Amino acid sequence: VAGTTGIRVKVPRNFRLLEELEEGQKGVGDGTVSWGLEDDEDMTLTRWTGMIIGPPRTIYENRIYSLKIECGPKYPEAPPFVRFVTKINMNGVNSSNGVVDPRAISVLAKWQNTYSIKVVLQELRRLMMSKENMKLPQPPEGQCYSN
Amino acid sequence: MAENGESSGPPRPSRGPPAAQGSAAAPAEPKIIKVTVKTPKEKEEFAVPENSSVQQFKEAISKRFKSQTDQLVLIFAGKILKDQDTLLQHGIHDGLTVHLVIKSQNRPQGQSTQPSNAAGTNTTSASTPRSNSTPISTNSNPFGLGSLGGLAGLSSLGLSSTNFSELQSQMQQQLMASPEMMIQIMENPFVQSMLSNPDLMRQLIMANPQMQQLIQRNPEISHLLNNPDIMRQTLEIARNPAMMQEMMRNQDLALSNLESIPGGYNALRRMYTDIQEPMLNAAQEQFGGNPFASVGNSSSSGEGTQPSRTENRDPLPNPWAPPPATQSPATTSTTTSPGSGSGNSSSSATGNTMAAANYVASIFSTPGMQSLLQQITENPQLIQNMLSAPYMRSMMQSLSQNPDLAAQMMLNSPLFTANPQLQEQMRPQLPAFLQQMQNPDTLSAMSNPRAMQALAGANPPQLPNPEVRFQQQLEQLNAMGFLNREANLQALIATGGDINAAIERLLGSQPS
Repeated sequence: VAGTTGIRVKVPRNFRLLEELEEGQKGVGDGTVSWGLEDDEDMTLTRWTGMIIGPPRTIYENRIYSLKIECGPKYPEAPPFVRFVTKINMNGVNSSNGVVDPRAISVLAKWQNTYSIKVVLQELRRLMMSKENMKLPQPPEGQCYSN
Repeated sequence: MAENGESSGPPRPSRGPPAAQGSAAAPAEPKIIKVTVKTPKEKEEFAVPENSSVQQFKEAISKRFKSQTDQLVLIFAGKILKDQDTLLQHGIHDGLTVHLVIKSQNRPQGQSTQPSNAAGTNTTSASTPRSNSTPISTNSNPFGLGSLGGLAGLSSLGLSSTNFSELQSQMQQQLMASPEMMIQIMENPFVQSMLSNPDLMRQLIMANPQMQQLIQRNPEISHLLNNPDIMRQTLEIARNPAMMQEMMRNQDLALSNLESIPGGYNALRRMYTDIQEPMLNAAQEQFGGNPFASVGNSSSSGEGTQPSRTENRDPLPNPWAPPPATQSPATTSTTTSPGSGSGNSSSSATGNTMAAANYVASIFSTPGMQSLLQQITENPQLIQNMLSAPYMRSMMQSLSQNPDLAAQMMLNSPLFTANPQLQEQMRPQLPAFLQQMQNPDTLSAMSNPRAMQALAGANPPQLPNPEVRFQQQLEQLNAMGFLNREANLQALIATGGDINAAIERLLGSQPS
């Protein structure tokens, strides 16, 4: 569907999002991230929820992090807004409201239209394993940001 | 097609994400749908009625994945499925995939994010601190004990293990799944007596062909196994789950301390790859492979780790064993060989007292140890911590009470075997040495960085005629092209005859 030949075809937003929805439901990937529409009747396919399972051997291990992702009208040309719902202490994530700073996360800062929600979630998970993050002290499990 | 996102029916009054795309048609007759349940490690398909609740779904899952339903967390399309929801509510249809996370009550142990079968639901990696809450830890830890219980039980019936491997693995699975059963087995006096018979245990262990291979590669293991004292102590600890947890906890704490030292992580890793991995592999073959195997490299796979599969062979980390950089501990163990690592580095790093000054120098000169030592001397607190870890203390106590054991351990240390004169010297001094180690003054002296440096500095070669002793090594160095005999000799003396270390020393002393 996406133009993978030499010519970059601009895939319409809804097609892309529907494809991502299907992938999310089919569980593509290794099972450590999951995503889906926040509201199944959302015709605009804008609000998504995501889930990241904390990687092993890090302080995030065994925790499940819930996120909200918003794909604006310009998606996939523009990156989505990503926000953690579950409290987390990690570089690039605002500690008072969980918003992921798009300038701090490389896939958001250097967004390409071939990236997807899956890519963002997997990248965040990968960052949890980086040396700078993997040992940061975390708030108690299960707390959420109040917004 | 990808019409799943759109809901075709009228909006339902139900709370939460409205459901039923597509299946708005037949709510009455429960169709059976096939749902795939995926964990980071595994994937299973389940056929359930489409109107079942998440709770019912979890029950089916818990049987297949051998966990309690309250340990299961199901995720679909980025949302956690609550027990009172239904599958339909979340839009879970035939052919879709749900993610599963299996939680353990043990906090950050990474216990299970995978359903382990015989492999057991355990964790611990060197990095995460351990914690154990009793019911699960009896399940998780003496994990291997369960298997031994199984083994021992079966072998006591006079049956050879090979014939009943399937039976055993089933039994183990059951054991894993039920902590109460585990507790019962452990308390069974028969099992206990079995476990307390070191000879029998040794036989059992040696009977495993992979273990034999391992032993060939690492003769220290056979030393361990053949030493009845060590075995007995190990088994005692193994039999007592509470004690084992305590030990594991301490070891992990020490280990995580160790890891934070710059050189330490590498040393640990090396230690792991040299000893632990083959052991895990060996002892794990029935358990579906070494759960650690992928952990080292891959990011996403390894949850689930394993503490002891077979009994914890690490009651007494050898404080005089050479540093992990070179040979690694005489005490191998399962995951808990961290203890030995800390034991090693603490001992080697803290050095010995005057009686073994020479030995100390040789240890110090190993580059790995030097960085470690540097860190430790800069951080005297660390030594205090290490030395005051309860198990270290108890180990020291037991060693001082049992001079034979101590002598044995010392002698087993490969460094000494290369150096019989040193052995002789050490032996009579052992009791005194142990007394000194126990003396809190010594401990505080050890934690004083200057004292350590003084020790390291004042280190004359005491042994008779190093030239003669190192004759062979000198010749080798000569042949390699190190023509400066004096320097060679110094290096050899400093490293206690270890050629490789001497070479490094020689090369290090020449500014590039």
